[in-house]
Amino acid sequence: MRRLFGLLATVITIGVGLVMVLDLTGVLSLAVPTLTSGLIAATFLRLALMTLALMISAGLFNLVIAHGGRIRRLERGWVYSLVLLLSAGSVIAFWLLGREDANQFLLDNVQVAVESSLAALTLFALVYGAYRLLHRRPTWWGALFIVSLVIVLLGALPLGEVSVLAPLRDWFLSVPVSAGARGLLLGIALATVVTGMRILLGQERSYRE
Amino acid sequence: MDATTGIVTIVILLLAFVVSVLSTVAVRARRLPIILRQHPAYGSLSQWTSEALEADRPMHFSFGGASLGATTPLTLANAETFTLLADRATYGIQTPLMTMSDSATLPLGYDVLRRAYRRRGRVDEFQLGAVQWYPDGARSLAFAAALTGIAADRRVSSHLLLGSYGSEVALILDAAARRGQKTIAASDQLEGQAVAFGMSDAPLIGEEMFAGPAYLGGGASQVGSVVALDILRISLILVLGALTLYQLFTSGSLNALLEGAR
Repeated sequence: MRRLFGLLATVITIGVGLVMVLDLTGVLSLAVPTLTSGLIAATFLRLALMTLALMISAGLFNLVIAHGGRIRRLERGWVYSLVLLLSAGSVIAFWLLGREDANQFLLDNVQVAVESSLAALTLFALVYGAYRLLHRRPTWWGALFIVSLVIVLLGALPLGEVSVLAPLRDWFLSVPVSAGARGLLLGIALATVVTGMRILLGQERSYRE
Repeated sequence: MDATTGIVTIVILLLAFVVSVLSTVAVRARRLPIILRQHPAYGSLSQWTSEALEADRPMHFSFGGASLGATTPLTLANAETFTLLADRATYGIQTPLMTMSDSATLPLGYDVLRRAYRRRGRVDEFQLGAVQWYPDGARSLAFAAALTGIAADRRVSSHLLLGSYGSEVALILDAAARRGQKTIAASDQLEGQAVAFGMSDAPLIGEEMFAGPAYLGGGASQVGSVVALDILRISLILVLGALTLYQLFTSGSLNALLEGAR
């Protein structure tokens, strides 16, 4: 029975995927002239968006299950779980009571403040990470990474015309960094296409079992 | 989508389709297995799994902000990598920890771990709380902060962070380094990728994230996809080189350059 469900899932995935590709590339509307191009794809996308929106409730359920369990078993750090659940509960309660001002107050004074502090901490984590890179993995690539980083950071200092590194930084960002970034993105795009093909060919394992 | 873009898209998809099919067929037909080049990150994963089992500590797998929407292939490829590792990690008592910041990935996370336990015949030992969702988005500092806390509380042995991360991944990697937890990280975002390269113990770069199933599973279709990716990458480099030379010769830039030199 499980194998039958796996087969059904594969057929649905391949079928929907093929229809989407044919519709988005305009092949479907060439074969069926009465069909508006992109209509089926838009419908499927809308269905997917509705499903994704519903998944928020699954997320909340998960939050209660995961952290409720920690509190019940009094696991290490259960107090944080309690604070998390109380915060989530109070935000939902304020929303149900129509107290948007209270939610906005919490957002402005708690969430934004905490995230700002974390953003500041990220800077220190990055500096320490750069130090660790040289300390732990002294490779040529690591050294190149650090040198590039230093040039870009020094070039960004507001020294005006005095800075020798500013033009070097601009060249760095517009030529090697830009080329590397495009190379990375092209590689990811190619891999995405190949993985997409594996899904269309039914070779992807995630939904077959 | 205009006609030219449509045609180019169809050509790329057809090319990818043909290369994928041919690569898989060629890998299946070969008598000797294809030897993939050594990769430090994938090479160390088996050892890290064993260490986690021996130390009776869980491994942590995270999708970050990767979702079943804009980044579906990335999420599915990473889910397969996590599945192959979870298969090994579920020998132990400790359930691996799975986290994500997109609620759409939640069922996939449950499926990955539950399937691993089902294969071991121990589905009743699977804990629902092992899969945890923290909101929200690809650049959630709250998500990063929650992960640092939960990784400490559960005494995680090693982290495998594959998916979508911004620079906030620095917080997770820094906390892991301070606690002696090993990390592998990669992101489809440039900022996250740069941080992952600098701070993780064994970084993966760009499309290497998609090669996990081939390295850990080694099935014909999985290795075939890596071979297809290599062929497409070389083809792309050749096409770009040819186009650059064509542009150089036809636009008169080369003549201008040579005259300038004289």
